[in-house]
Amino acid sequence: MATIKLLINQKPFTIDADPRMPLLWALRDVIGLTGTKYGCGVSQCGACTVHLDGNPIRSCSIPVSSVANKNITTIEGLSPDLSHPVQQAWIAEQVPQCGYCQGGQIMTAAALLKRNPNPTDKDIDAAMQGNICRCGTYPRIRKAVKTAAQLAKATTK
Amino acid sequence: MRKFNAQEQLGIEAGLLPTEIQRRDFLKLSGLSVAGLLIGIGPAKGATAPEEKPFEPNAFLSIQPDGRIILFSKNPEIGQGIKTSLPQLIAEELEVDWKSVEVRQAPLDNRYGAQFAGGSTGIKTNFVAVRTAGAAAREMLIEAAARRWQISLDQCFARNGFVIRKDTNEQLSYASLATAAAKLNVRENPVLKSRKDFRIIGQSIPGVDNAQIVTGKAEFGLDARPRGMRVAFIERCPVFGGKIKAVDDSAALAIAGVEQVIRIEPTKNPTQLVAGVAVIASNTWAAMKGRKALRIEWDLPAELPESDEALRSRFEKSLESTEVLRDDGNVIDSLAKCKIVHEATFEAPFLAHAPMEPQNYIADVQADKADLWGPTQVPGSVRQRAAEITGLPPNKINVRMTRVGGGFGRRLMADYACEAIYLSKTIGKPVQVVWTREDDLQHDFYRPAGLFKLKAGLDENGQLVSWHLKATTTSRYVFAGSSSPAYQTEVFPDGFPAGFVKNFRMEYAPTSSPVPRGAWRAPGHNITAWVDQCFIDEMAQKAGKDPVDFRLELLGEEDRLMPYSDHGGPVYSTRRLKNVIRLAAEKSNWRQAAPKGIYRGFAAHFMFGAYIAEVVSLSLKEDGTPKVERVVVAADCGLVINKSGALNQLEGGIIDGLSSALRQAIHITKGRVQEQNFDDYPLLRMKDAPPVEIFLVESEEDPEGMGEMTLPPLAAALCNALFAATGKRIRKLPIQSRDRVTT
Ligand code: FES
Ligand code: FES
Repeated sequence: MATIKLLINQKPFTIDADPRMPLLWALRDVIGLTGTKYGCGVSQCGACTVHLDGNPIRSCSIPVSSVANKNITTIEGLSPDLSHPVQQAWIAEQVPQCGYCQGGQIMTAAALLKRNPNPTDKDIDAAMQGNICRCGTYPRIRKAVKTAAQLAKATTK
Repeated sequence: MRKFNAQEQLGIEAGLLPTEIQRRDFLKLSGLSVAGLLIGIGPAKGATAPEEKPFEPNAFLSIQPDGRIILFSKNPEIGQGIKTSLPQLIAEELEVDWKSVEVRQAPLDNRYGAQFAGGSTGIKTNFVAVRTAGAAAREMLIEAAARRWQISLDQCFARNGFVIRKDTNEQLSYASLATAAAKLNVRENPVLKSRKDFRIIGQSIPGVDNAQIVTGKAEFGLDARPRGMRVAFIERCPVFGGKIKAVDDSAALAIAGVEQVIRIEPTKNPTQLVAGVAVIASNTWAAMKGRKALRIEWDLPAELPESDEALRSRFEKSLESTEVLRDDGNVIDSLAKCKIVHEATFEAPFLAHAPMEPQNYIADVQADKADLWGPTQVPGSVRQRAAEITGLPPNKINVRMTRVGGGFGRRLMADYACEAIYLSKTIGKPVQVVWTREDDLQHDFYRPAGLFKLKAGLDENGQLVSWHLKATTTSRYVFAGSSSPAYQTEVFPDGFPAGFVKNFRMEYAPTSSPVPRGAWRAPGHNITAWVDQCFIDEMAQKAGKDPVDFRLELLGEEDRLMPYSDHGGPVYSTRRLKNVIRLAAEKSNWRQAAPKGIYRGFAAHFMFGAYIAEVVSLSLKEDGTPKVERVVVAADCGLVINKSGALNQLEGGIIDGLSSALRQAIHITKGRVQEQNFDDYPLLRMKDAPPVEIFLVESEEDPEGMGEMTLPPLAAALCNALFAATGKRIRKLPIQSRDRVTT
């Protein structure tokens, strides 16, 4: 056990945990943020995607101790009020079926748009490749990423 | 043949519903969980003044004097959109503005009748009853208003949450009428709206939980956290049918957070408990580590372990002694006389369901009651199992439904709930059982594997006059010990082309296996449509005819209602089938030559009351593997309740069809499953997902389901397109088998 300081969604937390505990379980079990999902545990599905200093990472495969004091954003912290363009686009395009994968999809898409505001289909394919949707909402995800890009432009103008 | 009963075929128990839901328990318990999980059906706290009463003429809705309109969705939400579409039916008849309603998940409660998600039946079986609940409330609100105004009922009407007086246009809100309406007798036979007046049914209504989902707040089973909850991971015997010989749990118990290690002995019925050792811990990570530290010696079954090879040879053996399910004309004589006779053998593998949310379930079994929640398609079965395991009467068992992260048929089984119930009863604490993805892939109830041998003949005019199918599968009914005939939901003696080929014989034999089997999206059809629609294509080619024309010719000019004794019957309409075939051909420009480098394949299928035709267009990559460029779908599923939701389901079926046909298979070696995770059980990813164009037939027919129908024809359309591209027939799935192609 170790005392670990975390910065999650701009809020500091001090937790007492096994340093090797994956960030995913620290978020879900210790901090109580359950929006980040478990799907495979081995970096295959993307359900557990969070941002580490703005970059998408698989929280199931990174020990909590290695992200101490770094900036972690989870789906709960993407926006305070549903206002993030990716969230807005997901609602507009009515993407979810079961919804279980969508937090991870959104986090990956948000990171993509941040570094590439005008992604092509190829860019979208490449960025979203690590996120599985078992329900098969890919055609809508693709559309929503493009819609989000438009929305982001409209709001920054 | 007997009448189809969806519940029975899905193995869902009825009849154990309690007479009284434990309402107060729900309210009392609400302090134990995160907000939003628990639902009180009664009045919301603090909402009403003492003399004011909510109007709750039935379990489906509540109109609060403060103006809130709450609609309850009775069935589990597994991604099929039922939590939006069922309340749409209520809202339509209730005459309220959709934006003003609040939708809640109902718990298991006998006032709702059967509550399950399976067979794509949620809308079709509730279409009248749920609307009736809304209409009864509407009529009572109108009556309350008429009494207040002292005018006759026909002097007023309801619209958007108000009753309006025709002569003066005065309005009374539902909220203001709630207390008075609550005192009236409940309307028994209200008049339902005519379809031309529908304002909410047929619209594209966003999923009611979408805002929660995109902010990470929607609650799935894995997210529920009752106070004091322990987490359990279970090491199950990797070989099907094994038992525990010895357990050394000393290393596991030494891990911080691990509290107990419990042996689970298998039940006789393998759909309940299998042999396993559970590690109970205060948190997930500790339980995972504890499980890894277990040293278990297994007592393996004495008989030869199952393997793909052994199963293949048993399939051949089964086909030597089949039962004839249908025998029209004389297939043997006819084949002897046919100008062209063609034979082929098709093989389909076991498939896993792999819903995105791994199996998990929470049970809190106490001396006098039990609280259960988690992802399930069959809350009624969970309660029945809980009653058996705990000895509690069913009316002391509360089953709540969270959102379910995918079903696909996997959660028609209550095995993982049984584990939670058993463990909670044993340790006397609330327990959440969590499966890893590896557990999920290795301990599923797999889509049955099968071997299908076909022989068909054309006469001198190229007419299909003979069709002989001999099929065997690892029937799931045999596995579950069901008394229903083994062939049911495996093959369909009334399915096309039966009835259109003069000499037609269908034979079937089940093949046993220790590998567990269950219902997998579009059970049975997910193989038969592939086999039938590929072989039809082969026969069209032998006849030198266009595949679409060949099908239309077989169906004939005249519109007929064909007897169909399975789910979706009692008849199906050749008019509707021909219509979707023509529509798909038209929308895909089938009649024009495909652009250079593009190859197309066609398939059409009737199932569960819906008519689907599909055209797959693909190109070949440099390595010869297909790239699906586009899928065109024509679908007649009757009246559409939620346009956007319907399209989402139909698209999802296409992606799933592609995903499974391309790369999925469960392999068995030495009695165990080889596949471990998504790296060796690959699901389709974004770059392989083609655009899907769906054309819905505008229909006045009663609504059918949406969740399963587009999957079955996809594999056939894909294989037929691959034939067009390569001249090679694919008769063994998956197309890119690990033992065939590496990608
Ligand atoms: S759970 Fe982390 S990638 Fe699947
Ligand atoms: S919406 Fe169900 S897994 Fe993506």
